[in-house]
Amino acid sequence: MRSKVILAIAALLSCAICGDLAAWAAGSTQVVGLRRLSEQEYRNSIADIFGKDISVQGMFEPQIRISGLLATSTSVLSVTPVGFEAFSKMADGIALQVTDEKHRGELVSCTPKSATAADEACASEFLGHYGLLLFRRPLTASELKARMDLARSMTKSSGDFYTGLRYGLAQLLQSPNFLFRKEVAMRKGGTLALEPYSRATRLSYLMWDTTPDSELLQSAQSGELNTVAGLEKQVNRLLASPRLESGMRAFFTDMLALDTFDTVSKDALIYPKWGGAMPPSAKEETLRTVINLTLRENGDVRDMMTTRKTFLNRSMAALYDVDFTFDDDWMAHEFPKESGRSGIVTQVSMLSMFSHPGQSSPTKRGVALMDIFLCEPTPTPPANVDFSAINDTTGPLKTVRERLMAHANTPTCASCHNHSDPIGLSLEGFDTIGGRRLTENGQLIDLSASLQGKKFQDGTGLGQYLRDNPRFPACMARKLYAYAKAVDTEEVEPSVFKAAYKSFTDSGFRLRALIKGLALSPEFFTASPHVQEVSAGQTKLASSP
Amino acid sequence: MKLQRRTLLRGMFQGSVAVMGVPFLDCFLDSKGQALAATGQRIPTRFSTFFFGLGLTTSLWVPKKAGLDYDTTVQLKPLEPFKKKMNVFSGMRVMVDDNPNFQHWSGNAAIATGIAPTKNSQFDSKTIDQTIADVISRGTRYKTVQAAASGDPKHCYSSLGGANTLPAEPTPLSLYTRLFGPGFQDPSSGDWKPDPQVMLQQSVLSTVSDERKDFMKDLGAGDRARMDQYFTSVREAELQMAAELKRPDVIAKVAIPGNPGEMPVNYALPNVRTVTPLMAKLGALAMATDQTRVFNLAISEPGSNIFVPGDPLGYHITTHMEAIDTALGYQPKVAEYNIYSMEILASVLKEMDAIQEGDGTLLDHSLLMAYSDQSYAKIHAVDGIPIMLAGNASGRMKTGYHIAGGGNPVSRVGLTVQKAMGIAIDNWGKGSMETRSAYTELLA
Repeated sequence: MRSKVILAIAALLSCAICGDLAAWAAGSTQVVGLRRLSEQEYRNSIADIFGKDISVQGMFEPQIRISGLLATSTSVLSVTPVGFEAFSKMADGIALQVTDEKHRGELVSCTPKSATAADEACASEFLGHYGLLLFRRPLTASELKARMDLARSMTKSSGDFYTGLRYGLAQLLQSPNFLFRKEVAMRKGGTLALEPYSRATRLSYLMWDTTPDSELLQSAQSGELNTVAGLEKQVNRLLASPRLESGMRAFFTDMLALDTFDTVSKDALIYPKWGGAMPPSAKEETLRTVINLTLRENGDVRDMMTTRKTFLNRSMAALYDVDFTFDDDWMAHEFPKESGRSGIVTQVSMLSMFSHPGQSSPTKRGVALMDIFLCEPTPTPPANVDFSAINDTTGPLKTVRERLMAHANTPTCASCHNHSDPIGLSLEGFDTIGGRRLTENGQLIDLSASLQGKKFQDGTGLGQYLRDNPRFPACMARKLYAYAKAVDTEEVEPSVFKAAYKSFTDSGFRLRALIKGLALSPEFFTASPHVQEVSAGQTKLASSP
Repeated sequence: MKLQRRTLLRGMFQGSVAVMGVPFLDCFLDSKGQALAATGQRIPTRFSTFFFGLGLTTSLWVPKKAGLDYDTTVQLKPLEPFKKKMNVFSGMRVMVDDNPNFQHWSGNAAIATGIAPTKNSQFDSKTIDQTIADVISRGTRYKTVQAAASGDPKHCYSSLGGANTLPAEPTPLSLYTRLFGPGFQDPSSGDWKPDPQVMLQQSVLSTVSDERKDFMKDLGAGDRARMDQYFTSVREAELQMAAELKRPDVIAKVAIPGNPGEMPVNYALPNVRTVTPLMAKLGALAMATDQTRVFNLAISEPGSNIFVPGDPLGYHITTHMEAIDTALGYQPKVAEYNIYSMEILASVLKEMDAIQEGDGTLLDHSLLMAYSDQSYAKIHAVDGIPIMLAGNASGRMKTGYHIAGGGNPVSRVGLTVQKAMGIAIDNWGKGSMETRSAYTELLA
């Protein structure tokens, strides 16, 4: 299997500089994107290039959330000294494994004339092959020569051919050409359009969350990817693959801010159920739900707000009070109507991420959900606000609702709280770790809410409200566009994802139609002549009161 | 004894779990106890930062009397054992000029850079620890080392500028592994020798550096700045390797403890109380073995989410939601949280002061800057953010003072710190916070 891939790639190498790359040399190009690989992108790329047997060990630099997306920060962040040190060690660890006695038979396609001396042809084949895969484009002659020189001198000083390969490969792995996705555009008339290898890369990371495979690279090399038919053929191929699930898992993890879970702490004294396998399980439950709905069942994306179908493992079943009757790790489950659950907004993940350690927070939930699903961020509160009334449980105001309302009657607070609180208040039937409850401090909880002229009741009503709100699918289209191009969600003009959105609505809100519409729209591979700069005003999903 | 220690360390590198440390021998100190007999090297001065979120309560921490022999207040009480070894600064102003007051950001960014940030969550210049490290960390294995005591690598306020902050080690185990895991050779070991691997790695890095010119082609200004940082990082890795080829100077008689193992690291206060001094101890040992001279430790993010088990809201939300007790005149629960920050700071100073080297302790040969993001967190006030400087920077800083800032720019503290650390600098900060006035009365 792997050797077939190697053969296919070898065909590509025969043409190191041709076609569109000539324009590169002519200087009519501009770098329109420079994105640091995310941890998952890095891991997936290494697994695809070298096989799952090669382990990647080390700490990745964290990303930051900008206007709702981590992906956006990949075009803002650089590599710090600590981050580079980690990349450098990972590179060496990977290169050592690839060239060791256990793996070289499979991963080094040629045999040197002598294992103790330099072999130019074999080194060139090896470095050229992995250079193409790691840089996602062929190496230029001088790039290849630099690695060959390094490998030769390492072979000489060590007396071992494979040591030379090891260091040549380690060099490729810590090069900025691997660690950053450099998106290069060529000027055509008044616009800048991505050159084919940058197209292949953008498509592949969007749809599969990994480096382009040999077929995609081949279609870039032949120029096919810059034709309408060729592009559609590749997009269809990527959409039809089960690997689309990896790509969309990455997108939903980012859009739903599920990474927030990694640092959520709950008070074990108040909620002893929390902890252990729960946080990763809750995250997985939500991902399984959305992937099943949008890809496996090819359902209407909007139903993620109303579906009662989910997937539970033993620890989630315990939390939801459901009998776990399955031998496997995960079982499909459908909540009964009276459970009060409605789509992912009532799953443990979303309910617990946006809460205090030991108390639910309608404001946190409201602010997060408005931003995540409707693309309506709430401004940060003015500096000088007295929130004391909200916290006084000894006074006459027993429930969070009563306390919030008291404070939302203050004109300076009202505009924002009327915007975000209703969503959160309708979810007060769930505690800070997502458990169902009917009373708070001895009083029955009022779950009614009114938002933008619509009245609804509890989580079920909220789910239906969001499902029927045209802003929800529009927001998802906007986020997918921003995610794919690593731009700021708030700065995306509606016109640029109009075609994608039309294909989305025409299909009855099928996710594949949205992706396809996006990838085939003329805006997807064009760039404005100015290098895009993203401001890093982070959305403080997890820290607003 | 020495042999045994080496054997233990070697065992550790090969992946065994717990090893017991054995003390260094005293013979490295010369007769004056001033330097090490082995090398004759003088003891370097180190710099540390300690970040704690959400400030203190002004009426409970600011001493009434300025200067020496000031009154110990309720919230400074935990620091009393170190009163003679530190200075406290009250009433320093953060002037944001035309920039917004970014909640839980502008204050700490201004203290760390002397500049009011123009963007949220970004630094408008290199932070003070990096500026200092550029000068004092030359030749050490790590230019700076960072740790985050509530487990999030993003809790680090050290930066080369922009949106990037240096990721912190999020657990004692990861910090230990970085400092004393693979690549660490006990400098007191008789068979210390440079690792030949390091020289090979150096050649690899130099070819990465060679890519600079080609890679920078056709980049816009913003991306150029990002790649400048990347290539600076490559350069630092090269310097780190050069340092690894040289036997570090043994400075203090310390024992490297065993691998701390896995433990819960999160916002729950009892865990933060356990983890912080452990991290401080590892950082102090790293400085004592001259693996780094700059150590940054944060116990949380600026709007601290630390919580006392049983408190449903946690620290940050409590600062906003707790009513002021009219009889007391302050927020009682917040005041308790404030004290925890000072107790944790004291636990850090204790670790540094426990390491004897030459004529004093590691703390004496250090300057530690403790600071926060707000003065009065309830309303996100930034004037009068508490700042403490502990240690006398090997005698360059006089200690025992309370400086009543009286509305002076907070950058005066940073300028004073840099002068004490021997940085050739005349003015620091920008806009209204640009200053040429260090607290010269504190400089020895």
